[in-house]
Amino acid sequence: MRKLLVANRGEIALRIIRSARALGIATVAVYSDADAGATYLAAADDAIRIGAPEAAASYLNSDAILAAARAAGVDAIHPGYGFLSERPQFARAVAESGFTFVGPPAAAMATLGNKVAARRLAVQSGVPVVPGLDVADPTAARRLGAAVGYPLLVKAAAGGGGRGMRVVKAERELDGALEAAAREAQAAFGDGRLFLEKYLARSRHIEVQVIGDQFGKLVTLGERDCSIQRRHQKIIEESPAPGLDAAMRTQMAEAAIRLFRAAGYVNAGTAEFLVDGDSFYFLEANTRLQVEHPVTEMRFGCDLVAEQLRIADGEALADPPTPAGHAIECRIYAEDAERGFHPVAGRVEYLNLPAGPGIRIDTHLATGLEISTWYDGMVAKLIAWGADRAQARTRLLGALAEFSLLGVGHTAAFLYDIIASKPFGDIDLSTHFIDEFFTGWRPAETDLETALIGCLLAADAATNVDRTTPSRAPAESRSPWERLPRFEPWGGR
Amino acid sequence: MKVKRFSDSHEFEVELVSREGAKLHARIDGREVEARVEPLFDGSTIVTLHGRRIRVAARRRRESILVAAGPAAFEFRAIEERTARAAYGLVTPEVTAPMPGKVLKVMVHAGERVEAGRPLVVMEAMKMETTLYAEGAAIVKRIAVAPGDAVDHGAVLIELSPVSPPSSPASDRQDS
Repeated sequence: MRKLLVANRGEIALRIIRSARALGIATVAVYSDADAGATYLAAADDAIRIGAPEAAASYLNSDAILAAARAAGVDAIHPGYGFLSERPQFARAVAESGFTFVGPPAAAMATLGNKVAARRLAVQSGVPVVPGLDVADPTAARRLGAAVGYPLLVKAAAGGGGRGMRVVKAERELDGALEAAAREAQAAFGDGRLFLEKYLARSRHIEVQVIGDQFGKLVTLGERDCSIQRRHQKIIEESPAPGLDAAMRTQMAEAAIRLFRAAGYVNAGTAEFLVDGDSFYFLEANTRLQVEHPVTEMRFGCDLVAEQLRIADGEALADPPTPAGHAIECRIYAEDAERGFHPVAGRVEYLNLPAGPGIRIDTHLATGLEISTWYDGMVAKLIAWGADRAQARTRLLGALAEFSLLGVGHTAAFLYDIIASKPFGDIDLSTHFIDEFFTGWRPAETDLETALIGCLLAADAATNVDRTTPSRAPAESRSPWERLPRFEPWGGR
Repeated sequence: MKVKRFSDSHEFEVELVSREGAKLHARIDGREVEARVEPLFDGSTIVTLHGRRIRVAARRRRESILVAAGPAAFEFRAIEERTARAAYGLVTPEVTAPMPGKVLKVMVHAGERVEAGRPLVVMEAMKMETTLYAEGAAIVKRIAVAPGDAVDHGAVLIELSPVSPPSSPASDRQDS
C-alpha cells in the first residue's frame, strides 16, 4: 500500500491520515463544499473536492469518491466511521474498482451489519440475544408486546447511531413509532426495514473490540463501557468496563470471537452487548472503526488504524500488547444540552485546547472553522489515560476545565459535570444514566454569573479599540518578555 | 443591559457599575458583585468571581452575545426591543425552528384552529425527527414553509394569531 484515500471528513479523516503518514503511506483527503478550507485537508498529501455539502452528493457519493481515488492514483480506501463505512455495496464497489478496502470483506459486513442477520448468526453461534422480533410488522409486534411486556425498542435493521430508533412504552404508541422509525431509517440508511426488541430497563452497554487478519487470526482488545448516552448515542466511553465481573468479561470476549469468526470477519470491528445483572445479550455489531476506539488505543498502547492498514495490506496480525491502566473518553458535540441536545451551528471564534500527561485530543477544531449542521455535530474527543480509573478521571476533568470553545454551543460543561458526579465515580452506570441523574441539567450558577460578566466585557470590547491589549502592559512595551524578571537558572520563581 | 439566555429563556439585568484596572463592579439582577478581570494575550480574560478563577472569551455576533466561561458556552440575546413584537395573549406568536434542519411535514393549514399539544410541524436535523407542538390554543395565521424546505435556526415556520381577543397581558416568551 503506497497511497490511501480517506473517504471521510473532520477529526476521523485527520486521525487516519496521521497513522497512514507514520507508516509511510501517502494520503488523499476528500471534501465537500462545506468543508473547503477545513484544516484536516492540510494534513493530507492531496485533497480532492467530491461534491456539494449534502452528504448524498459528497461523503455518501461512492461514484465521486471512486472517481477521486482513480484520479489520485491511490491503491486503498479507508472509509472511517459513519457515511459509507458500513455499506457493503461500497466495500464491494471499492474492491471491484481494483482498490483495497480498509475494512471487512463486503460479505461479512453485510451479515453483521444487518441487525436481523447478525441476530440470527448470534443465535446460531450460541451468543445470547435480547428477546425480540426479526421483522416488525404491527401484528407480530403486538404479539411480542403482549408476550414480553412493554417497553419495546424499535430499531432500523440497517441502522446505527440511534437513528430510526424508538422506545415504545405502550401498545397505543406502536403504530406511530413504527411509522416514524421507518421514515427515519429510510432517510438515514436508504432502508426502512425495522426490527423489535424488548427494552431492557437498566442495562449497561459494553462492547468488545475485535480485530483479525486475513489468515484467520482473530483477537479481542478488551472491552469498552459506553453506557452513558443521550439520544441513544454514546457520549462517554471507558476501558476497561469498571466493576465488570472477570468471568463475564471472558465470556463476552469469547462470544465476540465466535460471532465474528462465524461471519468470516477480517479487520477491526466491535461486538456490542447489553449487560443486565448477571446476563449479557448481543446487541449489534459494528463493522468498522468505532468513534471511541482511542480508549482502547490508550489502554493497549496500540494504533488501531495502523493495524487496520497493515491487515488490509495482507500482513499477519501480531499478538496484542498487554493492556495497562484505564482510559476514559468524552465526546464534545455542538449541541444544546439544555434543549434536548439540539444541534447548533456557528463559527469558532476562540479555542483553547488542553494538553498534558495522559491527555489525547482527537479534533479538527480550529479558529475560524464554520461548524454546520450538515454532518454529525461531534467537534472533539477528549481522552485521558491514567494508571487507574481515578487518575484517568482526574486528568479528564482537568482537560475539560481547560477546554474552551467560543462561537458555537457545545456540551463540554455538561460532560464535566457528569464525569465529576458521584454516580459516575460510584460506577452507577446504565444507558439511562443521563435520564436518571442529569434531567434538567443546567450550568453552575457561578459559571452563569461569570458569563454575565462576560456580556459586559463583550459590550465593553465593542466600544474599546484597545481591547486586545492586556491593561497591565504599558503602551510603549507590549512584549511580555520585557516584563519578566531577569532570568536565573533554576531560579526561585 | 437586559439579556435573555437562549437555552432557557431566562432574563437577566446586568450593568457595569465601575471598572478600575482589574477590579470590576457589576450589578446582576440588582445584586452587586465584584469581579477581578485579567485580560490575556489570546483575547480571553480571566474572571475571578466568588473566589473562582475562570477563563472567559466573549464576542458579539449580530443580536447575540456569545460567552465561553471555562468549558461552559453561553448564548444571550439583548432583548430591549423584543417586547413590542409579542402578540396579545399568545404564548408563542411564531413557531420558529429550534435548530437548523429540514421541514418534513406541516401538519396544519392556514386558518385552522389548534389546541395546546397539537403537532404542527415535523422537522429533521442530524437525521433525527423533532415534532413542534402548539403551546396553547390559537388560529394558524400563516404557514411560512413547505415540506422539504431547509431552514435555519430561528426561522419562522408558522405564525399564529389569538383565538379570542386579548384578555391577559402580553407575554414575551418567544422561544418554544
